[in-house]
Amino acid sequence: MSEKLSSHESQELFEAQLSRLGEAHYLVLLWSAKSEGKAWKYNLTNFFDDLKHLGITRTKQTAVAVIEAMASLCFIELRDESNRKNIYITKYGAKALARLLEARRYESKASAYLEV
Amino acid sequence: MTLGIGGAGCKLAALLDDSAVLVNVSETELAKVPGGGRRILASLHAGKGQFKGSRKDRRLGLDAYLSVKRELLSLIKGNMVFSSTGGGTGNGIVSGILGDLTDEEDISTEDKTFFAFLLPYAKLESSEFISNTSEFLAGPLAGAIDSGNTGNIVLFSNRVKFEKRLSEQKFNQMLIESLKVFLAIPDKNDQFRLLDGHIDHEDFALFSSKPYFNHFTYFDYNPEQSFEKQLTQNCNPLLLAPEAPIEALFLLEVPAGGDPTMFYSIVEYFTDKKVSPIYSVVENPSLKAPFITVSLLYSRKPAELVNDFNIIAENHAQAKVQKSLDQYVSLARLEVNMANKAREEVKLRGEEDVLAILKRLGKL
Repeated sequence: MSEKLSSHESQELFEAQLSRLGEAHYLVLLWSAKSEGKAWKYNLTNFFDDLKHLGITRTKQTAVAVIEAMASLCFIELRDESNRKNIYITKYGAKALARLLEARRYESKASAYLEV
Repeated sequence: MTLGIGGAGCKLAALLDDSAVLVNVSETELAKVPGGGRRILASLHAGKGQFKGSRKDRRLGLDAYLSVKRELLSLIKGNMVFSSTGGGTGNGIVSGILGDLTDEEDISTEDKTFFAFLLPYAKLESSEFISNTSEFLAGPLAGAIDSGNTGNIVLFSNRVKFEKRLSEQKFNQMLIESLKVFLAIPDKNDQFRLLDGHIDHEDFALFSSKPYFNHFTYFDYNPEQSFEKQLTQNCNPLLLAPEAPIEALFLLEVPAGGDPTMFYSIVEYFTDKKVSPIYSVVENPSLKAPFITVSLLYSRKPAELVNDFNIIAENHAQAKVQKSLDQYVSLARLEVNMANKAREEVKLRGEEDVLAILKRLGKL
């Protein structure tokens, strides 16, 4: 018989996932939410450019690793559209972002792509 | 010779001894003391001249002690030191002296110092005086008593001054007159005809060099009444009350033609208490009734004295807190919901639009 997670365990899992998120993870949630609000497409290249612009990383591999981790956690969804990997925040990602905003764990930074 | 340390100590020493050495950290205070002899200014390293006292800060007095330490340690040998325990200068400098005496290996009888301390009246004097006194009794004085390197310690109390509303000058005069009665014992032995026993200057010096608290008192002695009852009724009100004595000394002065054997019942009283007194009986022709001067040496643990003072200090602190509560407005209870507060913060930072977007998109 397969074991199911109780709601309490699910909550615990969510809290544990949340506690492991770094600044780059927060920023991908924030920027993907904002771009979706504008009905823009926000892709992996945009994310890498923004991180590089803010001095958070200099390598694309880091941006890829952040994106893949967030996708594995089901906080974002990656869709191959017109030869681009566009990023969409999921409802779990939305809850995580709301919690991070309330906790003020990281400073909100502007995306050069979205501020244009 | 006598030394007076700090404001109160200088005034008392100058009243007892015209050539008393007076020590203070303030030139102004030193200049104001009438009488006395040489003045010693203990250095506070003040840039603009030393015209202020220690402001009840015993640490300032202790710092100043370092500038006069060598001189004072040589001056106090075999002499008498007056100080109060509540202020900063006397308490601080005497703390330094007692600390150094404690560290001495052994001090000879003739070099022991007789200390007279004036303690604040805990009910009515400032809490700084009380806490300074507590620290003094629990720290340097306790250490010095344990080392056995002091002479007698007389604990005067300001109680009578406050209860009878006496001027400082008058009260100080009372303290000194009282002390003079005790100090006159060997001179009276020289001066009057001896009827029994003998206390010469050497006996008296030996008694004064013992490291115990000294409670002395004097009164007209009625041989028809119990000595114990008379002693209890005639405790010296200027001193802290005594504990059971370890050693005792008395001088009985009888009028001309008086019964020279009335002292036996006094000796019996002390013997019953397991104390063998040093005594003498003299004939004083100027008296109409027998007069006795008694000194009781007792060892009250400083911890108990400190406890008395701490109880008073605690009451003071509680009264002050209550007064503050009475004086100031009561604070309304703040109900803070951290989640709401966090949402308000998010709103203030202009990030509420992100949450609104997510709600609009149906993801929140």
